[in-house]
Parts: sequence; structure tokens; C-alpha cells
Amino acid sequence: MTARPIIAFAAMLASVAGCTSPNTGATVTPEAPPQDEFPYVAQLMVHRCGTLDCHGSVYRNLRVYGDEGLRYSPNDPNARPCIPASTTGDEVAQDYDSVVGLEPESLSTVVANHGADPESLTLIAKSTGLAAHQGGTLFHPGDDAYVCMTSWLAGSTNTTACLDALPLKVCGLPAATSVDGGAP
Amino acid sequence: MRRSCAVMVALAALTALSAGCDPVKSDAINALGGETPGVRNGPLHRPGQPCTLCHDGEIGDPPAFSVAGTIYETPADASVAAGATVSMLDSVDAGYEAGTNSAGNFYVTPGQWSPRFPIVRVVVSSVGGGTVVTMQSDVGRNGSCATCHFDPAGLDSPGHVYLALPDGGTPP
Repeated sequence: MTARPIIAFAAMLASVAGCTSPNTGATVTPEAPPQDEFPYVAQLMVHRCGTLDCHGSVYRNLRVYGDEGLRYSPNDPNARPCIPASTTGDEVAQDYDSVVGLEPESLSTVVANHGADPESLTLIAKSTGLAAHQGGTLFHPGDDAYVCMTSWLAGSTNTTACLDALPLKVCGLPAATSVDGGAP
Repeated sequence: MRRSCAVMVALAALTALSAGCDPVKSDAINALGGETPGVRNGPLHRPGQPCTLCHDGEIGDPPAFSVAGTIYETPADASVAAGATVSMLDSVDAGYEAGTNSAGNFYVTPGQWSPRFPIVRVVVSSVGGGTVVTMQSDVGRNGSCATCHFDPAGLDSPGHVYLALPDGGTPP
């Protein structure tokens, strides 16, 4: 007999809890991979992901700026794809924010575990074909692009793999030249 | 048999209806405007527009194109490059070569070539091969040149595809 009021009260509490608004002031400070090595990763993403018909578009959640696609250039209205023929520091910074801000909690877990289980990130799951991706499978475990991305997540970027994953020339110049903005 | 036929017809109608209800696509097509007076639907119409927006193979639409676009002579004017050759190579090393018509248009049907994106190499050459221009980036997934190559050139577009700079030099 006494159980009914208790159940009703519990149900009411649950419904109130369900209506509670999320804390709009909550922030996450991700444990992010190193920014100083990111220009190599950024250039790989510019080439593989950032064409104007894919993530080089302001309409994408993961927005990629760079020399081969969408330019981020508040102070140079004459910038165009491949003009200037390198990815700038401002563009690398935008790309870093795009990637780090995608899934900050999951990224922090991967980084804290020294790059273990990178496929738990949508970034890697989509690019390796483990998750649906309209752009298809771009990287395969073990190839240069995959090593570049995952080594960065592990905290020690294999810059050789990053450069090897690029074509010999980007925007008419040797690929290493494109890794310009913010490169150490 | 009659019942399964009816179901298939209903499904086809539903598919056509849902395709026609895509407001983003409808808005994009409407934004292209009408046909140029005196140019009827066909290989010479709508140069410089994103062909696969309509030529996408959906029910009720015109024939599908896997890749299509328009080649111009220079960046500054609208003179089209008739008789140019567009050579393409996809991510599994399958290639195709198409020529432009008098409107500067070229088009490839899926039956001729269905590239596995990205298309990693695009080379455009003028009649006789005097001018050869290589595209600087990959084509990620969209078969319409004009999806990315639209005018005016800016932060998000290199402008229309052209063969030569006004001074006779080749594009970067």
C-alpha cells in the first residue's frame, strides 16, 4: 500500500531531473596533442580532407583551411586556393581548433593513454572507414597518413610519415614547403 | 505479381517525391536561373554551372554525369575553350579523357567512367596540346567542376577553370 506513493514521488523526481537544463557554462579543457607538431598533420588534412568540395567548406563541422582549399585570411582578401602556396600559421591554428574541439573528452582520453585506441575518435574512425564517411576510406592502419595522425595523437609526430603521405608537390612547390605556418 | 508491382511503383513514386522535396537542392537549382534564350537543353547549355546538381541520376532528372564542367580560355573573360582535352586519373589509377564542345562543356557518364574519388590528377590541354595545365589539388568527391570553380575567385574558389593567363602564361 505504501509503495505506490513512493513510486509516484520517485517518478516525479525523475521527470523533474529529466527537464533540468544542461549547464551552459560548463567547459572542457582537453588534454590536447602537441600544437608545435601540428603543421605536418594540418598539411596532411589539407590535402586529404580539405578540398573545397569536402571539409574545405565553411558548411562542415570539421572545417579545414589550407593552401589547397579554403583560405583563412582576414587580412588578405586576395588570398586564393594555392595563393599563397603554403598553409599559413593562422590556417594551422584554425585547423588545430577544429580538430581539438571536435570531441574534446574523447581526445583527452586518447592523449592521456599515449595514443591508445585512436579509432575511438570520430576523426580516425571516419577516415579509416570504421564509421560512415561520405568521403570514403582515406587512411589505412599502417600507411603513412595513418602513422602521421596516430603518432601525433600519441604525442610524438612522425613528421617523415606526414611528408611521405603528401604528393611530391603541393600547389606547385615541394610538399615540405607547404608545411609553413607555425612549423618548428 | 500485381501486388509486388504496385509496391515497386509506390516506392519509386515515394523516392521521386522525396528527391523533389530536398529544399537545399531545390534552392540551389533555382539559384541557377533559367536557360539562356536560344540555347535549348543539351550538351551546349548552362556552361560554367555545376552540372551534377541536376545531372545526378535521380528519378525524373536528366542523364547522370560522373564528372562534368566547362573550360574557359582565360580567368578574366567568358571565352570558352572548345576542343580542349580533360584527362583525369582516380585514386585506383583508372583514367578517362574527355573533350570540350563548342560551349566549352565536357561531360562523362557513369557508363563511361565512374571514378573512385578522390580524382588525384586532372590535366587540361588546349587544342593541339600547346597549353597544358595541371590541377593543383585533388577532387575530393564532387564531379562538378563548378561546385568549387565558381566566379568570382576568392577565399573559397579559384574561379572558373581556365587554360592561360591574360599574358599567355599558365595558371599557378
